[in-house]
Amino acid sequence: MNDFSLIRKNLFRRKLRAVLMIVSILVAFMIFGVLAGFYRAFTAGEDRAAADRMITVNKINFTQPMPIAYFNRVGTVDGVRQVTYANWFGGYYQDPKNIVMTFAVEPTTYFDVYRNEFDLPADQLQAFIRTRTGAVVGEKVANKWGWKVGDRVPLSSNIFTQKSTSGHTWDFTIVGIFKGKADHVDTNLVLFQWPYFDETRTFGKDTIGWLILQTTAPENNDKVAKAIDAMFANSTAETQTDTEKAFSKAFASQFGNIALIVSLVVGAAFVTILMIVGNTMALSIRERTREIGVLKTLGFSGPRILRMVLGESVLLALLGGLPGLALAALITVTLRNSLANVAPAFAVSPDIVLQGVALMILLGLVTGLIPAVNAMRLKIAAALGRG
Amino acid sequence: MGSILNQVAAVTSINLRSIMQRRWLSLSTVIAIALVVMVLLAFLAMANGFQKTIAGSGADDIAMVLRGGSQAEINSTVSRDQVRLIEDGPGIARGADGKPLISSELYLVVDGLKRTTRTKANLPLRGIGEQGAALRKNVTITSGRMFNRGSNEIVVGKALQREFEGFEIGNTAAFGATRWTVVGVFEAGGSVFESEIWADLPVVQSLFKRNNYFQTVRARLTSAAALNELKAYNDNDPRLKLDVKSENTYFAEQASQTSDLIQKLGWPLAIAMAFGALAGALNTMYSSVAARATEIATLRAIGFGGFPAFVGTLAESLLLAAIGGLLGAAGTWLIFDGISASTLGANFTQVVFDFKLSPLLIVEGVGLALVVGLIGGLFPALRAARLPIVTGLYAS
Repeated sequence: MNDFSLIRKNLFRRKLRAVLMIVSILVAFMIFGVLAGFYRAFTAGEDRAAADRMITVNKINFTQPMPIAYFNRVGTVDGVRQVTYANWFGGYYQDPKNIVMTFAVEPTTYFDVYRNEFDLPADQLQAFIRTRTGAVVGEKVANKWGWKVGDRVPLSSNIFTQKSTSGHTWDFTIVGIFKGKADHVDTNLVLFQWPYFDETRTFGKDTIGWLILQTTAPENNDKVAKAIDAMFANSTAETQTDTEKAFSKAFASQFGNIALIVSLVVGAAFVTILMIVGNTMALSIRERTREIGVLKTLGFSGPRILRMVLGESVLLALLGGLPGLALAALITVTLRNSLANVAPAFAVSPDIVLQGVALMILLGLVTGLIPAVNAMRLKIAAALGRG
Repeated sequence: MGSILNQVAAVTSINLRSIMQRRWLSLSTVIAIALVVMVLLAFLAMANGFQKTIAGSGADDIAMVLRGGSQAEINSTVSRDQVRLIEDGPGIARGADGKPLISSELYLVVDGLKRTTRTKANLPLRGIGEQGAALRKNVTITSGRMFNRGSNEIVVGKALQREFEGFEIGNTAAFGATRWTVVGVFEAGGSVFESEIWADLPVVQSLFKRNNYFQTVRARLTSAAALNELKAYNDNDPRLKLDVKSENTYFAEQASQTSDLIQKLGWPLAIAMAFGALAGALNTMYSSVAARATEIATLRAIGFGGFPAFVGTLAESLLLAAIGGLLGAAGTWLIFDGISASTLGANFTQVVFDFKLSPLLIVEGVGLALVVGLIGGLFPALRAARLPIVTGLYAS
């Protein structure tokens, strides 16, 4: 019998107790996995932002419009490789509750700026450029509503009014479906031509929501931002230019301190198991005092006993923690679609698994440390005399 | 019958007095349960505070008119012609001068800086009509004065001033190229309006280049029941076809989305953690039964029944859970109750609210703790009741 099988036998000598501890560790790591996954997905915008991409918005607030003329003027700024723009449409399909993220954009430049994110076949892009009433839809939206290229789809706006019908609905022909070039790219959006939008709406003519630009190199970002904002200073629509990363981060923080909430909950879950498991480990080692005395009599050294007790608590943490992370992964997969708007690409990523395993080992060592040291120091005579 | 009760009382008191012998294990269970209750109550207090702030903002006898399907003030647009038609509508109260008590408004989003995180935040700037302040409950200027009509002055809600930088009286606030002077701070009964900036409607329209542009109309009704008259009038006129609802209904809809979300996060998290705490409770109670095996067997040998042993163990578990639950509730109250937070509401602007614990929530929290205590005590109690006397006497 080697040390490992001794550790295993020790751990499961009281099956019920071992199972209970495994369950409580499992729960803690499940909570850790789900919340860490959520937090990552929620802040994905800032992590995945392209370093050379910047956003220009109206300085008052990003919901305020700016003149379309800014598009051409920003294009001439030194250090700008490409610029495009978008306008929020406030889209929904049939019922106001079925929100569809919809933007009016300039087709050619939009797919150039996002060429590393979105994959739209060349012929479909050409069709999008040619078709005034055309729309391209992200794969996720297309799958959700079962839309195919060639379908005519009515999309309504909760903000704008269509001039010719005085209604709130625009009819589009789907001319393309785009995919994400990586897993984390969210394709939960619909794009259509801004010129068509601008001509058919009743108010807000000649304005756009924001500009998205790509600089020639990230080193030029600061210079470009200063040049753009200086260009429009003291006009009726002053601008604020930031990197995409800074913009996403500022937006995410508007929901509140999600990081703090996540760490408080995970912290509470860990303190709970730390106490339960720590106490139970101490109890179970105390019960085995005599046996440890016997092992020592048989020539087991103090450090070897220490390693065995620590091994037992680490094994326990892993037995609970690994299935806990697996369960968390399962939960994220099930919830992914319903959370697509808040936290796209919600998943237990490899680095979360790595952090989790590190935490398990740490938890095992911390809970086992005191009982292990006590066991190591135990005098044979005292151990055999007790009980 | 009396003797059974006596037995139960005797065994229970032995059980409870022996808790101190297992103090560390018992304490860990108590703290584990307390933490579960704290997590639950913190979420519920957050949802409750948010709900109270928003839902408490509306009145039954105020009608709100928005563009059809717009769902939130920020999306809505109403034309000047439509505003005029509503002014002539039925069911709207009139002032002493015979003018209808209505306020057509503009709702814009401007950037502010949050004090705690020093990050940008969306703040609502509302251009209100002459009756705007009077159409809201309990609005009082607590310091400074109301803005003068026709000037670029603003008054700010108390909550907004507290959470965001630069709105002290006398300061100049810059929204883009426009400059505004802060002249007063108002209270509005803890409602969502305290998270807003108010200015004179025509000034906002002209400085933000939104002349002849309105977003919502608020009207005082002659009575809450008069809403239906106004609705019928709106539905029958093809030039209107707007959404007419009571302000109360509007805010109730707005509150439900976010507070539902918070609750939907809080309960599953707390239940998951409760499973962890349950494992701890079961462990503690099985250890308790094991430690008292000799004692239980002795009692049984001298004629005590299994039932008192069952009750005693269950009582111990429930007591530990109740202490944990109350500790958790007290902890939540001390740490979270009343703390101020803000998040993005349905109007895409920051809503400042306080965490609010209520007696009902405390009952929910302690209830969850007792469920953990009940299940955690039940199986060990059954074991105690069924413990064979001989095994018990030879234990240890």
